[in-house]
Amino acid sequence: MKTRRQFHKLMAVTAAGLAAPAILGSKVFAQDKPIRVGASVSLTGPLASTKNGQIGYELWRDDVNAAGGLLGRKVELVIYDDQSSAANVPAIYSKLVDVDACDVLFSPYGANLSAPVMPFIKQRDLFMIGMFGLAGNDVAKHDKFFHSGPWGPNSGRDWARGFFDLAKAQGVKKIAIINADLEFSKNAAKGGADVAKEYGMEVVFNQSYPPNTSDFSSMIRNINAGDPEAIFIASYPADSTAIIRGVKEIGISDKVKLFGGAMIGPQYGALLGSLGPELNGLVNSHTFVPEPTMQTPAIKSFFDRYTPIAVKQGVDPLGFYIPPFYYVAGQLAAAAITGSKSVDPAKMAAFLHANAVDTIVGKIAFTEIGDWKERRVLMVQLRGIKGNDLEQFRNPGHQVILDPPSLKTGELAAPYNKARAS
Amino acid sequence: MRKNSLVFLAGIVIVLALGFLMPWLLRNPFYFFAGYVVLQYVTIATGWNILGGYAGYINFGAAGFFGAGVYLSAFLFTSFGLPLPLCILAAAIVGAILGVLMGYLTLRIQGVYFAIATLGLVVVLETIVHNISGLGGASGMAVYGPRPPAWSPGPSQYNFTVMVVIAVVSVALARWVEISWIGRGLRAVRASEDAAECSGVPTLRLKLVACALSGAVLAAAGAPYPFYTSFVEPVTAFSLIIGLNAIAMPLIGGTRTWVGPVIGALLLASVQQIATVTISSELNILFVGAVLIAFVAFAPGGISDLFGRKKGRARL
Repeated sequence: MKTRRQFHKLMAVTAAGLAAPAILGSKVFAQDKPIRVGASVSLTGPLASTKNGQIGYELWRDDVNAAGGLLGRKVELVIYDDQSSAANVPAIYSKLVDVDACDVLFSPYGANLSAPVMPFIKQRDLFMIGMFGLAGNDVAKHDKFFHSGPWGPNSGRDWARGFFDLAKAQGVKKIAIINADLEFSKNAAKGGADVAKEYGMEVVFNQSYPPNTSDFSSMIRNINAGDPEAIFIASYPADSTAIIRGVKEIGISDKVKLFGGAMIGPQYGALLGSLGPELNGLVNSHTFVPEPTMQTPAIKSFFDRYTPIAVKQGVDPLGFYIPPFYYVAGQLAAAAITGSKSVDPAKMAAFLHANAVDTIVGKIAFTEIGDWKERRVLMVQLRGIKGNDLEQFRNPGHQVILDPPSLKTGELAAPYNKARAS
Repeated sequence: MRKNSLVFLAGIVIVLALGFLMPWLLRNPFYFFAGYVVLQYVTIATGWNILGGYAGYINFGAAGFFGAGVYLSAFLFTSFGLPLPLCILAAAIVGAILGVLMGYLTLRIQGVYFAIATLGLVVVLETIVHNISGLGGASGMAVYGPRPPAWSPGPSQYNFTVMVVIAVVSVALARWVEISWIGRGLRAVRASEDAAECSGVPTLRLKLVACALSGAVLAAAGAPYPFYTSFVEPVTAFSLIIGLNAIAMPLIGGTRTWVGPVIGALLLASVQQIATVTISSELNILFVGAVLIAFVAFAPGGISDLFGRKKGRARL
């Protein structure tokens, strides 16, 4: 550098060069900017077990970008950790919208974390795909919100109806209901009691328990005293384990035909592996199982890619319950964008309201508040489990679909004690 | 009025003016969402410090008072349509009553036993809320707040301004306690409760006053929360994170003066907010933990104490 003047010129050119993309990019090259998809995921905190869903998002993004993106634009994910706390959600979604300028939003996991964001998206009229929030849009009734989860219409009451349909078909007249005193399980139990009443069943035992309960022996004895023919349980992973072990220890009446319903835990590899054969006979809800009526090349390809990533990251290696539906969320967003040829929330929402979308878990059509038109929560019976090897759960026949009838792969093995002993 | 008080008053006026003007100067709502959380923690840390810092009674029950304020405000608004300022006032009154009740039951025990007893308050209140269906129980309660008044451009900005006012009032209250006879009495209690009692300091009465004021501030901090999240549920409202932050922030900033909790809360809450949207992974918890350990190791009396010592201020 010979003179100070030359140095200044060089600096001016460099500064102009650095600033050019920012100045020009916003207007002239807006179409080349990636489509930004924003979400919060519970990477830490009590809901961290759901973080394997992020693999679903990332696989979808990679697939879309490998195919040339959407409307000729690449897709970029912007993900923040909400630490499983509803208190963090408003600021995160404001950041996603107001600072990161995301075009599409995915909600946090579940109803309690999604609830804080509903007034925000309604007020700002934004497009959002909901992630597993039961009855998540029933209050806000936002017309640009769509569930990726298969809960179906009236989900607050009906999502576990399949269990009661099975009980009714078995001629069950007396039922017992127990639930953890937490959001999801409390809703499930309340909905279950309503459906039982509708079907003319007598609820002989209905009790909630504190979330940290670890000894269910007295509750199981009280249930046996009520002499029910079915037991509907809405529990979380730790209590699910304690209940299953409690039944093994104390025993249950031979009259019980169905046992389970809404137990969280036996959907995940950790619990399937630790409880193993003790789960035989259980009839429980699920969202996806590798049974012949659900297997497609697309879902098989998804799991072929999911498993090695999950093993590397140390998350659930099976990933049946959540990850496919995170991929589905991406597919719904992609269909809305390409179908409406736009990232305008109103046009995207109009497309999803008017058209069914093909996804890796099947065709999905939506109601006016974004619920699936058809409930597709599975009731599966766990059978033939030997040992604690997780790989057996990748084969058909161990999680037999009893409901819905369109996906059914077997008949209920009853009574529960007989199915349990098998 | 002393020079220090005049400077403090001028500071209050400036902060309040900024609280009302910023929403019109800064258009991006994100800063008000993040700013709300920081100010909420300034209030919580200040409230906690009145009992925990001045009197030296470590209170793990901050989340209990905060949650009580959250639920009372949500209930009064959804059931009776009470405006937010009245909800805050009601929360402060109930927080004060709760503080006196807790103090009356627990202040006869000290140290770790007192800390455990206050932790029990959180568990008791959370369990009660879990079992009241009128408060949404475990499922939570949606709170769709009213439209913001005309002097505020939007809901997030309105919540921010309200929190600025609450934080300023709390800090002013804490400063008044510190420099008044109450503060002198509480410092005596912290130095040696037996000696204070022998010297004629009404220790129980002073501690009850501290409990009431601390409870009122903590509950008032929770009152606007339902309008910030539009949804309340017991696990978040009574989260132990609130209780831990309420202790960590004054410890980082310093527990002996009103400045300490303010500095600690501004620092730690800002770091937490920034880490949430930058590092945003398991690492942010580690990062915040590392900051906490660093401060405890290198500045055990807090930042304000560090500067106080440099100025040669006496340490009581």
